[in-house]
Amino acid sequence: MVDLVTVEVIHGALTYTTEEMGIVLRNSAYSPNIKERMDFSCTIFDQKARLAAQAEHIPVHLGSMGLAVKRGLEKLDEPLENGDMLLFNDPYISGTHLPDITLITPVFYKDEIIAYLANKAHHSDIGGKTPGSMAGDATEIYQEGLIIPPVKFVKKGKIDKEIAGILMSNVRTPKIRMGDLRAQIAANKLGQKRILQLAERYGSTVLCEAMEEIMSYSERRMRNEIKKMPEGSYSAEDFLESTGTTEKPVKIKVTITLKDENLKIDYNGTDPQVEGPVNAVLGVTLSGVYYVLKCVTDPSIPMNDGCYRPVDVYVPEGTLLNPSPPAAVAGGNVETSQRNVDVLLKAFAQIVPERVCAACQGTMNNIAVGGIDKRNGQQWTFYETIAGGYGGRKGMDGVDAIHSHMTNTMNTPIEAIETIYPIRFLKYELRMDSGGAGKWRGGVGLERSWMLLADSATLSIMAERTKFAPWGLYGGKEGAKGEFYIVRADGTHVKLKSKCTVKMKKDDVFVVKTPGGGGYGVPIERDPSLVLEDVLNGLVSLESAKNEYGVVIDLAEAKVDRESTKRLRCKMKTNCNTGEVNG
Amino acid sequence: MVSYRVSVDIGGTFTDLIALNEETGEIVNVKVPSTPRKPAEGVINAFKEFLNNANPEEISVVIHATTIAVNALLGQIGLELPKTALLTTKGFRDIIEIGRQRRPELYNLFFQKPRALIPRRLRFGIEERIGPKGEIIKPINLIEVEKLAEKLKREKVESIAISMLFSFINPIHEQKTAKILNEKVKDAFISISSEIAPEYREYERTSTTVVNAVLMPIVSSYLNELKVELESLSVKAPLCIMQSDGGIASKETAAKKPVSIIESGPAAGVIASAFYGNIIGNKNILSFDMGGTTAKAGAIRNGVPEITTEYEVAGKVHKGRIVKGSGYPVRHPFIDLAECSAGGGTIAWVDEAKALHVGPISAGAKPGPACYGAGGEKPTVTDANLILGRLNPQYLLGGKMKIYPKLAEKAIKNEICQKTGLNLVEAAAGIIRIVNSVMAKILRIVSIERGYDPRDFVLMCFGGAGPMHACPLAEELQISKVVIPPNPGLFSAYGLLAADFKCNLVKAIMKKVEELDAEEIEHVFDVMERKCLKNLQFQGVPKEKMLFVRQLDMRYFGQSYELQISTTKPFLNENLLQAIESFHNKHEAVYGYSVKDEAVEIVNARLTAIGLVEKPKVVKKKLEGKKVSEDAVLTKRKVFFEKINNYENVTVFSREKLRPGNLIQGPAIIEQYDSTTVVYPDWTAEVDEFENLILKFGGK
Repeated sequence: MVDLVTVEVIHGALTYTTEEMGIVLRNSAYSPNIKERMDFSCTIFDQKARLAAQAEHIPVHLGSMGLAVKRGLEKLDEPLENGDMLLFNDPYISGTHLPDITLITPVFYKDEIIAYLANKAHHSDIGGKTPGSMAGDATEIYQEGLIIPPVKFVKKGKIDKEIAGILMSNVRTPKIRMGDLRAQIAANKLGQKRILQLAERYGSTVLCEAMEEIMSYSERRMRNEIKKMPEGSYSAEDFLESTGTTEKPVKIKVTITLKDENLKIDYNGTDPQVEGPVNAVLGVTLSGVYYVLKCVTDPSIPMNDGCYRPVDVYVPEGTLLNPSPPAAVAGGNVETSQRNVDVLLKAFAQIVPERVCAACQGTMNNIAVGGIDKRNGQQWTFYETIAGGYGGRKGMDGVDAIHSHMTNTMNTPIEAIETIYPIRFLKYELRMDSGGAGKWRGGVGLERSWMLLADSATLSIMAERTKFAPWGLYGGKEGAKGEFYIVRADGTHVKLKSKCTVKMKKDDVFVVKTPGGGGYGVPIERDPSLVLEDVLNGLVSLESAKNEYGVVIDLAEAKVDRESTKRLRCKMKTNCNTGEVNG
Repeated sequence: MVSYRVSVDIGGTFTDLIALNEETGEIVNVKVPSTPRKPAEGVINAFKEFLNNANPEEISVVIHATTIAVNALLGQIGLELPKTALLTTKGFRDIIEIGRQRRPELYNLFFQKPRALIPRRLRFGIEERIGPKGEIIKPINLIEVEKLAEKLKREKVESIAISMLFSFINPIHEQKTAKILNEKVKDAFISISSEIAPEYREYERTSTTVVNAVLMPIVSSYLNELKVELESLSVKAPLCIMQSDGGIASKETAAKKPVSIIESGPAAGVIASAFYGNIIGNKNILSFDMGGTTAKAGAIRNGVPEITTEYEVAGKVHKGRIVKGSGYPVRHPFIDLAECSAGGGTIAWVDEAKALHVGPISAGAKPGPACYGAGGEKPTVTDANLILGRLNPQYLLGGKMKIYPKLAEKAIKNEICQKTGLNLVEAAAGIIRIVNSVMAKILRIVSIERGYDPRDFVLMCFGGAGPMHACPLAEELQISKVVIPPNPGLFSAYGLLAADFKCNLVKAIMKKVEELDAEEIEHVFDVMERKCLKNLQFQGVPKEKMLFVRQLDMRYFGQSYELQISTTKPFLNENLLQAIESFHNKHEAVYGYSVKDEAVEIVNARLTAIGLVEKPKVVKKKLEGKKVSEDAVLTKRKVFFEKINNYENVTVFSREKLRPGNLIQGPAIIEQYDSTTVVYPDWTAEVDEFENLILKFGGK
């Protein structure tokens, strides 16, 4: 049996390796989506294809990796040989949408596989009906891009040119795709080298045993945490506002049952799969579950297969959260995944109220735009996601303009975008009054707008929370809903739906206003000096200070009118006889 | 007359003053308690003590490493940050707050973003716009600027940052704005992004400018106060400040660009390593500094410390790397350091699922390790080293400080053994193995992660605790030679005396190589060179003592991170071709591939001007015999070694009594005033002619 100090040392080395893989991937990739936004994830699996270590990359990728590696290897006809790398993006195997390409590398030591390395990166285009491969109105997966089943993309150390050829013929920016794929290969190669060094140093038996122990360790800690939660059954539901092809809301329902050190998550009651692209494949649903679990227990528990063991997840087949092919799924990753987290947190709010936040913006605001650049006759595609407000928390306001939950990608610098793409930015600012009022205010969303400089372009939006606002908790108000519109060159406003594909013309201005987070606690209990601070900083208007928070502000003096505030807050309270009001 | 170069390094617990006698190379050392709330006070106290035995006019120069900048940003010295305003392009005043829209922690629902250094109400958008080619899309509205100037004056703003879109290509709007503000708001300090950090990426450039603006009033007044107080002691020697890039700058230059002195302290150790490496003829060095609370690693290649330009000040460190989004990005050359919470005082603990951890919490100076007997009950790395026989079981600091092994034993038994079932020795050895693996990681970050093979390096170990961990770290990285300098505890302060003047400039190019000719780049370098020359001359560096280093930031077109490629003067067409070739090669070395037919882009041109200073004289001693004299042998004691998994009775030597040429076969212990060197089995220790301890693996 391997000693606990060696386990700790190997654990550190494995985690470090996943981080190092990420650095290589990022630094050697081509697309801004990977380099600047870091939309990728790196992991190590043990010889039985169980997650052993991961870097803190993108939650929606990470939770799906277990399924991806297991299913990807199962689909193989011939076993992997030394020097082979397996590549695929079929969502029904890989567990996330088509633009995410998974690459698996076995690590051979003395003719035996001792581990696997797996990374997943979001490619900014994988073909399909729209640039960026995120068509808001797709009805079948075939419209969303090229589907790659598990193939040996690298054979005995060499890229298979024929497979590469097929891939490159089906995407809009082949050179960049190839650059990014090479970066994915470089990352796994580095991981391979590190695992072999560990095997040399400690022997493969010790290494494999240590991985086993790392997983058991996480399992023990997870069980401890679950045991501390009150036993019982807790349900919650929330809705997606549209499917991309219809405006009909879709329900997600979850029931969490806690008993002793086990936890059951049952999605019975969730609506059937839909025609539009918001179906979330099982891997995405699991990602949400694992993410929330780590958040509401102890974020310091190392994430690996062991964490999953006390949890039993049931998702009925043919539903929004476990669809059958050929349902379109591009938006499931980015939008349904966020709603899944909202629903899970709503349920956990009944179990551990002090450990959850109110609803965050609940969308990633995916924007893909592209066309042909007349200046050089080449295709261009730009993809981004836009931050919004974070939900209020006990004792803390929600964070303003930040990515929440299932994503954590960076923005691309405006000075990089404008240098490469025919776009000119007009605004990138915080959005006043968008944070849900509360004792602890929801974070504000933001406003981002740009003008098209090319003759024409195709714009796709995949977003949510333009009809149903992010909810507050314990008396906190809703955050503001999102908005999308185009201001045509002639000044007319065209309101856009949260999932759509439209044509833009030169000088059209595209405007995005992202949702704010929900508030936490009753707004009239908020410290008036914090309201004053928000008003002075233009995050809350004078009117909202008064109407939502019951705080009267003397703007000329830059201070709170204590007397009027006291009176107003008293009036706003339902029973006002104590005269004792906060503030 | 005697002449002293004096350096002052402010640490967390002590302020160290070192005076180097320029004639004899002799060193005088003064240690006084640091005064965190008024850092200048500790410096002055040190000078007062030094001047008991020296005359003020004997001091030729004062070189100072200060943590005032970073402490102000960390909010540690109870200073209100000065009222600072930001002027930027209309519509973009929140870029500084939105940052890269990324949260620093993934799974923590209760994370916080660092608060904006300038509140939103003091951030103003100006009507103006410059495009990606430097073209003026919308001319600047100067009337608006003038009105704003009045407002800023009324608001009594102390400092102003100006950062507009694409100013790194065309600074005209920033310059016009600065001109008006200079005239109308005379009392305020002004920082302009096109001067402070003329590189693309609006958030990072603005952040750098804002950090500079916030620091200007604080650093200026600190340095002025210090200068006045030094003069009141009749010390009239020029005052120089250590910069984060390991170069020094005059007080006046530092006050204008305080963003350049943020990591003033940690840089000194790496500079000392480079200097010593040069003396002993080793140009590739991994510098490793382990003190009471942290360990720091840096790399020196071809005699030059590695520099990074990507840095977040006041950010959280996670496993040696700064967590992105946890601090304030600063684009300025920094000595590339990786840091971890691992020092003598770092606490070992067991979590509820029975895993053993070391750090990040430290027992600090008070109560310190359990064995100090100052009330500490938590086991630390020092306690573990004591149990394993590596530390003197009676006293430290040459007898000044008593040690209590029983307390160390009790702490490890209570906190580790009872919770894990390990016995005392297993627990102590486990603590050391874990802390070594954490520290090996930071050495990997600065070597392997940057594309360098650690086997090509010599390990320089210093700081009070460094020499105790030198051998296992070297083995982990397969390094076969380790150098322990003569005074490991004072080594960083010594580095200040060896630092040259430095002046850094950068200019954005942002063009594919085929769109460029060498002449254009030569011109850019030439302009920067002349600027630097003037700057160094102003600081009193004669022209013949100047060196200019040219670098290009290059990448494949479409990538967005650059590699730095060194180049030469003059820059001709063949140098351009050479630079491209070097870029392909470096890309291959760092990332494992290169693509020769891909377009290459030059993003920035960088110039570093170096003003050479007179280096401390290191006296070369005569080598004597290999045999160690009897009086250098102190005692024998049982020391545990992982390799044999047991204790072995080893000889303890006094470093002060060892003579150059002496050779010791490991395992052995070498004690000195402020440090203990553990020579592992399979290692030898030799005293070289500069009185360094040279440890060699397998050497006989």
